[in-house]
Amino acid sequence: MSGSDDASGRRGKAVVRALRPYVDPPEEDTPAPGPSSRSASASGPAPGPAGEPVRRSLSVRPFLVTAGRVTDADRLPLETQVITTTAGLNALPALTFEQHDIVAACREPLSLAELAARLHLHLNVVRVLAGDLRSAGHLTVHAPQADAAHDLSVLRRVIDGLRAVPDSRGLTRDNNRPA
Amino acid sequence: MTTTALPNPSASGAGRPPLPVKMVIAGGFGVGKTTTVASISEIDPLTTEASITEVAAGVDDLTHTPHKTTTTVAMDFGVITLDPTLKLYLFGTPGQDRFGFMWDDLVAGALGGLVIVDTRRLDDCFAAVDYFENKGLPFAVGINVFDGNLDHDLDEVRWALDIPDSVPLVLFDARERGSVRDALLVVLELALQRAEEE
Repeated sequence: MSGSDDASGRRGKAVVRALRPYVDPPEEDTPAPGPSSRSASASGPAPGPAGEPVRRSLSVRPFLVTAGRVTDADRLPLETQVITTTAGLNALPALTFEQHDIVAACREPLSLAELAARLHLHLNVVRVLAGDLRSAGHLTVHAPQADAAHDLSVLRRVIDGLRAVPDSRGLTRDNNRPA
Repeated sequence: MTTTALPNPSASGAGRPPLPVKMVIAGGFGVGKTTTVASISEIDPLTTEASITEVAAGVDDLTHTPHKTTTTVAMDFGVITLDPTLKLYLFGTPGQDRFGFMWDDLVAGALGGLVIVDTRRLDDCFAAVDYFENKGLPFAVGINVFDGNLDHDLDEVRWALDIPDSVPLVLFDARERGSVRDALLVVLELALQRAEEE
């Protein structure tokens, strides 16, 4: 209960910190939480010798958080809407890291692209994690209508909606009067 | 005793999401794609990173497993909520020409495209024009008139770009929301016309 435990505790901490470079690092004085139970720590050896000062490297390999998985051929479009379910909200306290962030962010519908940008995650990482969270029932994933580009009613709705967007002087396209 | 099943995916806490549709803003580096998106987007344009897979093998290498490398590019996008049930996403293509044939992810399901042209560097937009033509995506060419002046006659530009009359050529100012809106409307009206003819 001494040297080796400390070393593995430091290693666990190092992995966690290396995974989340954009999170404020814990205080140096904080005791190491012991061997981390995060799944991430089990996915590989620590990135450096134990005891070496942890660099807050930004060059984290993004797919570490998906345990190396990439998306399959059936890729969800960028604009796919993702929404947290009630079950997801209830599970929020138990979720960690990126999964937590995704479920928390999607109380309002967000596209995969927005999610990736807001959470500073690689788009395909978000695709994988959103797929996991959907399988767990924490999210619903609504792929866009595949034939929207050929759907007359959708096109007309987009045109009408865009015409109503006021320009910088508050004028819409249709009537040239303040919207 | 209750059965434990996966929660019903439709039992969402937030109800039905808006229908997302998208358009693609293309053009060479520095022609004003991000400015265009920023002018009309209700959010500050966001940047996300996307991997694109580049087939590095030549055509004579088909007998071997194609050697693929993955490149990460930054992609700007914005969004306009047209009504509570409809969101329009605008995706700017990565600027580099060599990624031109890797835009499938962006273009799949898009309503149309706007190719932005700087008349001082016409050749920057050829990749996008070719790509949209090959994909059959309805698109217009928008000449970004930064300073209100056009160096060339429109017909000269059309000739130089070698685009058919069926491709609308519009002048617009990427900094003006109304101007961007009208350029996008030209694309959408073309898309509607195409869909009606189908």
